[in-house]
Amino acid sequence: MSEPSALQYVTDAALAYLPQDALLEELLSRISEVLSADTAAILLLEDDEPGQVLRARAACGIEEEVDAGVAIPLGRGFAGRIAAERQALAIDDVDHADILNPILREKGIRSLLGVPLLVEGRVIGVLHVGSLSPRHFTDEERELLQLAGDRAAAAIGHAKLHTSEISAREAAEAATRRLESLQRITDAALAYLPQDALLEELLSRITEVLSADTAAILLLDEQEHILRARAARGIEEEVEAGVTIPLGRGFAGRIAAERQALAIDDVDHADIHNPILREKGIRSLLGVPLLVEGRVIGVLHVGSLSPRHFIDDERELLQLAGDRAAVAIEHARLYEQRRLAEALQRRLLPSNLGGIPGIELASRYLPASGESLGGDWYDVFPLGRGRIVVAVGDVVGHGLAAAAVMAQLRTALRAYAADRHPPAEVVARVNHLMWNLGPTAMTTLAYAVVDPDEESLELVTAGHLPPLVVDRGGAASFLPLQGGIALGTTRVARYESRVHPFPTGTTVVLYTDGLVEVRGRTIDEGLDRLRAAAATGHSSLEALCSGIVERLVPEQRPDDIAVLAARVRPQPERLSASWPAHRESLVAVRQLLRRWLRARSATEDEIYDITVACQEACANAVEHAYRPGRESFEVEATYADRRVRVTVRDHGRWRAPRGSNRGRGLPLMHALMERVDVEHSEEGTVVVLERTLGEEDA
Amino acid sequence: MSWLARVTEERHGDVAIAVVDGEVDASNAADIAERLRQLLTNRSAALVVDLSPTSYLDSAGINLLFDLGTELGDRQQQLHIVVPPAAPIARAISFTGLDIAVPTHATREAALEQATR
Repeated sequence: MSEPSALQYVTDAALAYLPQDALLEELLSRISEVLSADTAAILLLEDDEPGQVLRARAACGIEEEVDAGVAIPLGRGFAGRIAAERQALAIDDVDHADILNPILREKGIRSLLGVPLLVEGRVIGVLHVGSLSPRHFTDEERELLQLAGDRAAAAIGHAKLHTSEISAREAAEAATRRLESLQRITDAALAYLPQDALLEELLSRITEVLSADTAAILLLDEQEHILRARAARGIEEEVEAGVTIPLGRGFAGRIAAERQALAIDDVDHADIHNPILREKGIRSLLGVPLLVEGRVIGVLHVGSLSPRHFIDDERELLQLAGDRAAVAIEHARLYEQRRLAEALQRRLLPSNLGGIPGIELASRYLPASGESLGGDWYDVFPLGRGRIVVAVGDVVGHGLAAAAVMAQLRTALRAYAADRHPPAEVVARVNHLMWNLGPTAMTTLAYAVVDPDEESLELVTAGHLPPLVVDRGGAASFLPLQGGIALGTTRVARYESRVHPFPTGTTVVLYTDGLVEVRGRTIDEGLDRLRAAAATGHSSLEALCSGIVERLVPEQRPDDIAVLAARVRPQPERLSASWPAHRESLVAVRQLLRRWLRARSATEDEIYDITVACQEACANAVEHAYRPGRESFEVEATYADRRVRVTVRDHGRWRAPRGSNRGRGLPLMHALMERVDVEHSEEGTVVVLERTLGEEDA
Repeated sequence: MSWLARVTEERHGDVAIAVVDGEVDASNAADIAERLRQLLTNRSAALVVDLSPTSYLDSAGINLLFDLGTELGDRQQQLHIVVPPAAPIARAISFTGLDIAVPTHATREAALEQATR
């Protein structure tokens, strides 16, 4: 083989595209062939303790060199000198030379020729060839080897550069993936998922990121000191089977108890408590504690079905994921509790204050800053004979516990009131009930029964501030302080009830202490401000409540606030209202008509007669004209020259009353009123009833 | 609407007394009829419905008392009603003839005397 072609052969550009190992092997094989050498080896310079060494990287004929990982210090022995002196070196007789590498001798190499591998003047290694028979390498052969070495060095350098480029790119990609992994696990959007969905999504992302086969989250039950499988992926049986792990025992138990990450490379030889892990064929495990503010709330672990050694990076990544999961779980847990409590409280507060005829109502509930709700509560409900109950309470504490007490307070108050106990007795009974519920049920309460007919307000307070009363002229004053111990503080307590005048048009404002208590100021100051805010004339109770909130409630509230205002509407000269066509409307119509008639100075007999007659007409509208609840009917009442005229109008089809005892309505109307007109038309039925007040009889 | 009227029970021998406190209209008449029927056992000779504290009664309540009277009559049991003559509801009871169909008394004592005779 001629030199140029031989040279061409060893420096073939196509070699550059081989992976480095293959490239070196191919080079050595070609060099041995070209130089008819028995062995060839490439040693590359490496940084090693204590200094630079040459390490066999590829060999041909003396493969043992590579396998044994022989390292030659720079400057020593055959190759060491070549690299240190950056010069070619030939040894005709190995026996009489300084040869460091025992393998060369053992192989029976007799002569050696070596050249430095130089890239841009820098030594990167040594290339040498050997002969098993004594041989003198010629200058031409030395030059050829050097040329081959130069080209080889360039190729190696290129490949090395290429490799480092690849590894740099790979490192960058890995870093990016890691960052992406972290972002996938710590994605803020996860926080908005319901807890179950959040945990599942987290596990799915963690298994993907760590290429794990299984993942599970166990949450700590602090009361029972056990870990309970809460969510799992790949080992769903864990959750389905309701697996529990005692704190301190087994893999997860130890992680939680020791608050430390734990890796198990070989499950077979470890203390594993959970049989499902073995049954599933999990071979290696990595787990981290879930910590919230230093408190263990659970354990997150991943598993592998093939034996695997989890590296520090993976442990760190899992811990990061765990930290994030812990915060998310805690967040979701708090959110869930808050949502529940809010939903409960919303249900406890009357949703519609417009339902009581002749009574104007308005309310505000403002949670404390940073909290979703506290223990403030209010209620409004009818009590019969036109009376209504307005009540405001303040349960000690907040959150779910307070909401639960509110629920009982509300039910108890409504039940005892419906049983027709006098107000003081209602409150005393509720006190007894609250006492039995325990110390968390301590509650203050203002309970007032408004009687529009008697124009009175009967009040009972239990450790609560006195309500404010605003008269029709806008003058505001507090009802006298009445005493009465807070509910739930003693087993048996007596409560005083006081009846106050409450003329039509007067407003009563009930509130909780958060409204008048301002840090650094006395309660009296707060009460004065409330009185001043309420006194500045308001067209409606909505406006009154808005005014009070605007003037008294600061941006930052340490406590929650409830305000409830009620007023008996003055009776208009002409009564006109529309009602939904169902039976419950009858009571409301009756109460309104009664008050309207009373304001016209009708006697009790007259009120009863006219009310019954009107009700019979309304009952027809409700029962016969429609299927229930589908439509509405109107009632209009006018008064002129002592004559009352009531008109009931519906939009349905008149149906004759059926049944033997069903036809009494119409005769009753005729008996009770002076004039009864019933007109049917396509549009519906109009009943007109008239009666003169002050006559002996109808 | 439980707050509209309340029915309380008393016993006087084998006579059941039901006191109806509040208002009876089409919205609660069926519930009250049910309550009254529950007070009657097979052993009861009579039921006295005391309407003294009844502040409102219209044809819905009157119909229920007519029905109840017929029902009890069929079972050889008596229904008696107590209505103070001055009460507003006395007029409707009189107009509809309920006081003729069902023995009506001014006081509970009078009713009991009749019922236990």
